[in-house]
Amino acid sequence: MNLLEVENLSVSFYRPEGEIEALKNVSFSLREGEILAVMGETGCGKSVLCKSILKLLPDIAKVKTGHIFIRGVEITDYSEKEMRKLRGSFFSMVFQNPMTALNPCMSVGDQIAEAVGLRQPRLSKRERRQRAAELMRLAGLDHPEERAKQYPFQLSGGMAQRCVIAIALAAEPSVLFADEATTALDVTVQAQILDLFLELRERLGMSIVLVTHSPGVAVRAADRVALMKDGELFRIGDMEEIIEDIVHKQNVISCR
Amino acid sequence: MKKKFPRFSLFILTAVVILCFACELFLTKDPAYMDLAHCNEAPGKEFLFGTDAMGRDIFSMIWYGGRISLAIGFFATLISTALAVLVGSAGNCMPVWADGILMRMTELFLSVPGLLLTVFLQAVFGRANVYSLSVVIGLTGWMSMAKVVRAEVLQLRNTDYVLAAKCLGGGFFHVLFRHLAPNFFPSVLFMAVMNVRNAIVAESTLSFMGLGLPVEEVSWGSMLSLSENALLSRSWWIILIPGAFLVGTLFCLTNLGDYMRGNANRRHSNLGCEKND
Amino acid sequence: MRILYINKMLYHAGKFVLSVFALSVLVFTISRLAPGDPLYAYYGERVEKMSVEDQEQARERLGLHEPIVTQYARWLEGALHGDFGISYQYKTDVKEVIAARIGNTLLLGGLGFLLIFMLALWLGLFCAWREERAADRIICRIGMVTSCIPEFWLSLLFLLLFAVWLGWLPGSGAYSVGAEGSAADRAAHLVLPLAVVVLGHLWYYAFQVRNRLLEEVRADYVLLARMKGLSGKQVLYRHCLRGALPSYLSMMAVALPHILGGTYVVETVFSYPGIGTLAYESARYQDYNLLMVVSLLTGTLVIFCNTIAQIANERIDPRMRVRDTAGSGEVGSL
Repeated sequence: MNLLEVENLSVSFYRPEGEIEALKNVSFSLREGEILAVMGETGCGKSVLCKSILKLLPDIAKVKTGHIFIRGVEITDYSEKEMRKLRGSFFSMVFQNPMTALNPCMSVGDQIAEAVGLRQPRLSKRERRQRAAELMRLAGLDHPEERAKQYPFQLSGGMAQRCVIAIALAAEPSVLFADEATTALDVTVQAQILDLFLELRERLGMSIVLVTHSPGVAVRAADRVALMKDGELFRIGDMEEIIEDIVHKQNVISCR
Repeated sequence: MKKKFPRFSLFILTAVVILCFACELFLTKDPAYMDLAHCNEAPGKEFLFGTDAMGRDIFSMIWYGGRISLAIGFFATLISTALAVLVGSAGNCMPVWADGILMRMTELFLSVPGLLLTVFLQAVFGRANVYSLSVVIGLTGWMSMAKVVRAEVLQLRNTDYVLAAKCLGGGFFHVLFRHLAPNFFPSVLFMAVMNVRNAIVAESTLSFMGLGLPVEEVSWGSMLSLSENALLSRSWWIILIPGAFLVGTLFCLTNLGDYMRGNANRRHSNLGCEKND
Repeated sequence: MRILYINKMLYHAGKFVLSVFALSVLVFTISRLAPGDPLYAYYGERVEKMSVEDQEQARERLGLHEPIVTQYARWLEGALHGDFGISYQYKTDVKEVIAARIGNTLLLGGLGFLLIFMLALWLGLFCAWREERAADRIICRIGMVTSCIPEFWLSLLFLLLFAVWLGWLPGSGAYSVGAEGSAADRAAHLVLPLAVVVLGHLWYYAFQVRNRLLEEVRADYVLLARMKGLSGKQVLYRHCLRGALPSYLSMMAVALPHILGGTYVVETVFSYPGIGTLAYESARYQDYNLLMVVSLLTGTLVIFCNTIAQIANERIDPRMRVRDTAGSGEVGSL
């Protein structure tokens, strides 16, 4: 049984100008403990795919057709309340820009502790803080106790992204969506964060959906790749297979 | 959400303005004539909107008075807009400390309750006429607009597209009219329309309190200054009819101004479907 | 850090004193230079019957013949000793005239401010939560209409409706003759003016809160907060409100003098004995000493509230607080 199964998912945005099809019949599956890279150019629907699985889309977006299963259970018609429980525990997400994803008016420690409290409501305030510090260390932040008192604008991009990851880890998720999680960062920091993802997969055994438009990122971290264009997922397969294909195609083109 | 064009408001506003300024063509009664045989008469066939305590015909007073009120609103706005643009853009070509003092002053003016300031000035200047009232109202209404102009100019001056236009060899006026003006025009236009509104409110309030135009000089505000007696004699039309015209005009102006401001909040709420629970 | 803090407070206090001083000079000069004769305030119509010598004598007695600088110096000296002179119109100590009325204004304006403060926040949250849905649209529409109604006309409308036609509530004064001590009577007299004060200002502030919240709701951190498993309402109250609160508090600090000082129209229409009517009378009749004190009171309140708003903004918003106190050395390098 696959961890996550998406069948024929179609999503449209209804704007005053008319309907815009953002996803067209997308199907894929995610196995336990694997890293799947979803690749494609900007605006091809990668982000919408993540958000529609999590039901985080704005009002004007509607799921037209399709089914979503987690461990064989259909969640397509889950209400907000049921989704909320899944979001804090089964799914989690890391966003593109850590600076805007963190609440600027709240210390990062409070934000992580809040996520801990939602997952484990029975913990006392102090225990939550301890757990938050643990998570920060897990996400690769040193001196978590002092760091927790800081506000997002006092952190560098990489630091802030590690905080966002700590928040995501508080949910102890089975599936982590990383929506362009490394795009806004420096190249060296990108590599560190990717290594962190790999390490977390090893230690916690979670699956990661790595949304990116950079082939370098996909090659470095992913087991399998899904390629998207204009809202369609037209190719999914093992990393090597697809690289070979692409190289082959390139050769064909250059031979002409 | 695209805003709808306020057709209805524009229509009413245009109608009111035209009727006010062309009232000689269709009015048969002199608004200043005091028909002492018909004081405090309720609306009827002869006096469409009734008469006031001095026997003047309210129907004709409305149109003549509207002319004064609208004119004051217009002139006052002209004065405050000119001041606002001057002060708002002056800061850009002054040394930093002078700019700072200017802004401090603007803010101080802004934080004094506006109408109180007007009342003070008006009381100090003594007996008012249309021009002095326009000047007083104009002098007290420029601050918030100046701040907007200043903020816009400051922000725009540093944007990349202005730099790009300059790099492509655009002259000062080219940059101003083709690149800057389209950007700050909507907000300045909005402020100007709101300024007309505020000026009309200020005029009517001042005249109502007996600080603006005297009772003999008919405007919507001075018509309402008779309402204290009207309350006692229960002549509702003296209060309600001019007030309805006043509020109606203000409402149409607000609608229009709101449309001019353009569409805000183009992104979609991230709270999304969460709210439907 | 401690020294920095004290320095800051000293700076604010110094600015405050300087501003009040500048204000007093300004009001003094303008009122003295304006046309109009203060003798009218003192003697009323009798001035016209007085001989030129008598007028000169009266002027000398009131100290009006000296150059403005000397007059101001004398006024300032008295003011520093707590002596603000006598009111020309009421012929008593200015302090007494004001003391008799300030309570009424503080009650009306203060209650109005509290109501506006709470209702605006609540209404803003209510509308932001229901953005662009029926309830929000209707409230926005109503709010827009109320914001178009001048305060004095709203007062007239209420008077006509509730005092004249229905006769439910008293329409003038602060209390009925003979019932000065009765709280119920006092409250009944307060209802209509209070309603006008609240309705006149409420929508402006509620609308600001709504728009500020709508901006916050569009921020990315809302998605992350929902990702944690917070419900929409929780996100709104715990996260978005936190971002909107500093600007709301500083806005309301600035609003305080506007609301307190804006009661004078209402006070006039309802013949409510407060400071507002006093301010207007003193300006109209050139009652210099009274005018000085009233405008200084208002001005001081304005400046004080602005200072509070600034401090509040710096203290509450972590973005400004941390930058100020610990910003440069300690964490910036990380």
